[in-house]
Amino acid sequence: MTPIIAFRGVGKRFPGVVALADVSFDLAPGECHAICGENGAGKSTLMKLLSGVITSHEGEILVRGEPARFRGTRDAEAAGIAIIHQELNLVEQLSAAANVFLGRERRTPLGLIDDATMEREAAALLADLECPIDPQVGAGSLRVGDQQLLEIAKALSLKSDVLIMDEPTSALTEAEVARLDRVIARLRDRGVTILYISHKMDEVFRLADRITILRDGRHVKTVNRSDTTPQQVTGWMVGREIADHQFHGTRSRGECLLSIRGLTLPWPGHPRGYRLKDVSLDLHAGEVLGVAGLMGAGRTELLETIFGAAEPTWTGELRIAGRPVRFTHPAEACRAGVAMVTEDRKRLGLFPDLDVAANISVCSLGSALQGGLLSRGREEALVAGPIRDTGVKTPGPHAAVTGLSGGNQQKCIIGRWLLTRPRILLLDDPTRGIDVGAKAELYQLIDRLCRDGMAVILTSSELPELLTLSDRIVVLAEGRLTAAFDRSEATEQKIMEAATGG
Amino acid sequence: MEPSGSTTRGWRLPRHELALLAAIVLVFVGTGWLDPNHTYFANWAESRDIILRNTSLLGIIALGAAVVIIAGGIDLSAGSMVAFSATTCALLLAVFSDVDDRRLVTVGTAGVVIAVVGAMLSGLLVGTLHTWLITSIRLPPFVATLATLVGLRSFARAMCLFVTRERWGTESQQINVNTPFFAWLKENNVWISTGTFLVLAILTWLILSRTVLGRHLYALGGNEQAARLSGIRTENVKWFAYCFGSLTAALAGIFLMADSSVAQPGNLARGYELNAIAAAVVGGCSLQGGVGTVSGTVLGALFLRVVIDAVAKLIKASADVYEGMIVGIIVALAVTLTQFGQLAKAGGSLFPGLRGLAAIPTIATFAGLLAMMGAANVEPLQGRTGLLGLAVGGIVLVLLSLYRWTESRRES
Repeated sequence: MTPIIAFRGVGKRFPGVVALADVSFDLAPGECHAICGENGAGKSTLMKLLSGVITSHEGEILVRGEPARFRGTRDAEAAGIAIIHQELNLVEQLSAAANVFLGRERRTPLGLIDDATMEREAAALLADLECPIDPQVGAGSLRVGDQQLLEIAKALSLKSDVLIMDEPTSALTEAEVARLDRVIARLRDRGVTILYISHKMDEVFRLADRITILRDGRHVKTVNRSDTTPQQVTGWMVGREIADHQFHGTRSRGECLLSIRGLTLPWPGHPRGYRLKDVSLDLHAGEVLGVAGLMGAGRTELLETIFGAAEPTWTGELRIAGRPVRFTHPAEACRAGVAMVTEDRKRLGLFPDLDVAANISVCSLGSALQGGLLSRGREEALVAGPIRDTGVKTPGPHAAVTGLSGGNQQKCIIGRWLLTRPRILLLDDPTRGIDVGAKAELYQLIDRLCRDGMAVILTSSELPELLTLSDRIVVLAEGRLTAAFDRSEATEQKIMEAATGG
Repeated sequence: MEPSGSTTRGWRLPRHELALLAAIVLVFVGTGWLDPNHTYFANWAESRDIILRNTSLLGIIALGAAVVIIAGGIDLSAGSMVAFSATTCALLLAVFSDVDDRRLVTVGTAGVVIAVVGAMLSGLLVGTLHTWLITSIRLPPFVATLATLVGLRSFARAMCLFVTRERWGTESQQINVNTPFFAWLKENNVWISTGTFLVLAILTWLILSRTVLGRHLYALGGNEQAARLSGIRTENVKWFAYCFGSLTAALAGIFLMADSSVAQPGNLARGYELNAIAAAVVGGCSLQGGVGTVSGTVLGALFLRVVIDAVAKLIKASADVYEGMIVGIIVALAVTLTQFGQLAKAGGSLFPGLRGLAAIPTIATFAGLLAMMGAANVEPLQGRTGLLGLAVGGIVLVLLSLYRWTESRRES
């Protein structure tokens, strides 16, 4: 059988970087093919080549046996290849139906836009995807999971038979993930070839027929799912075995640094009326408190409330080292010894135009002054510590921060906050989108900080991560605290039940 | 995996600045050579003074524009701010002069000091108003400063009418300023305004690259949310940026008033804001914020003025008509050239599809018309301008069509 897509010696260089080199493998029609690799392994570059986002490359891409040269995404679409990006590409102001038919609007005989037809067809497509939303509703008001299905509906309306999904579950709830699984199964039954890019081994092993592993821009191997194990695949991805490590246990818990009583955060205009309701918890020096919960359960809101990042509309009591506080700006939290590493590194953390040193020193520039002016030497000396302690791999303190990998960028941001000498460190999903090797290093770093007496609150969308790092775990479900476990009694099963309100 | 960019700080001259410097020298020498009178070489001192004076005025405003742009905002109101500040200054002088002195000769030292301080305060006032509109009312900077661009000039004119009527009983659209201090300023205009510009440039450089505030300006422009979450009081940083933008315009207003010995809010410094923004952009400031240097802005302003002056030398009659066109072309070219490398690397074409095809006759038409109008200024060609225009337009049409043809052949 002719492979529907065949890569033959495909390579791509950017100035100073080889993103892909000599990659060759095939996609069989109608299979679900997973692409695995650490960040920077070249997965995204490969998908951009296949979807016509990047137009020049070495080697050949064969589509149904014919060499293809895409000059843009439209060429790829015409060849039946559609991509669902991790960051969705919807026009939020337009309706769901208008998004599905964007650029190919149906028209009435008079040449005017035919909304009725488009809405009818969109509704049919969406119903087929178990997504019973009103096609007239604005795309921006949909949940992330529904927006994603909207993109899939758009791809299907284009009659695409190759669908690339770039980490599609990174923002989905469990129920939405299950629905996506069913949609993928159904598409595959219809003969759609699916390229599934993911870090998450459980998904890959649940969905894929075959798995291709990339490392450092090179093709490591392509294997049948049935012939391998998640440990093996992870090993190929990093080129080394990852020791599954347990960190908690021997830490010694100190005084109570943060105590929250009856915290309620209103949510005006929402049927539920609150983002957080009656949350109480204590955090001690030298411990990691894990906060579990599904997307939208209020994890980020809890940390932001503590950090003073949002308008202080909350009620209840917040004490730091026994003193009641109510921060109205992150600057105040910072002075009180609270630091927060935000969830979305690119959007909320990184300064892309500043170099590595400036990204790290931005919260503690006062220590880099000499005679009232910033001193380059002092700044370099200041950031040398965190670069060493967090293990940032950078060509130098004045390298461009956008040139670093996701893991190293995250280490820069953690280093930024360590310079403020916090007593309480809030980590909001700190390993999201970070490769396996960097994750292990971050775990060790968090453990070390904690043993040095720092109090850490950690949220994560991955339960194994919480179980690995936390001394205690609390669970949020729809803004309420529904359970609290000591590490010894916590299991994924129990946490999931509390998080889904089961 | 992006190529590592250059850092954005310091007086080190990266490629962009070197290219600007080379372009300035090239235009200057080229004009001196092409100009039939060789004014640049024959009358060096006078040419130098004209360029220095104009560059200083533009540069002072451009430094303000650059700071606002680096902080991720935009200030469209500079031209009106210049008029407002000049009017404020003149009106204060009028208040402190003798009642029947309509040329404002009799103002004492104290009056002059108050007038200058008052003009600068008017900048502080407007900057604060901008900040309030943007941070509290949450207007986009474009809208807030567009409102003051339109509003401030009108306000200054109304103020002018009001004070002249109250003071002298007759309304006037303008006020003559012959105060000795400002006459002295006009006399020594070149060196004082150039000196002020240089001092201001050094001060701005110090702020941007050597102070915490400067770093916060870059951080704010690069990623506002991250800046806030890093504990930066972003509203206060904006306050500084917009006040700095207005203060530089206010300063330029004082020089401009002295220069023309009159404060005439109706027409003073119309369109200056766009030239200042253009200088900053040509100098490498990114309108997305977070990127820009003082050295680039200074050279951007100098380049803009040198080219405008060159055209004035080459086209004798009413060269000011061509100013806007030149600024427009330079801005488009400067930004295109910085992006051209990326465009070529990505394999993108200059004239893709139907749009590209339509662009070719458009460009050819403009080139032909331009050649026709330009030829009217060159004596041997007069009388044959139509023919020349047609020829130039035709040549451009053929060349671009050829280029597009090779482009489409390369792709298929």
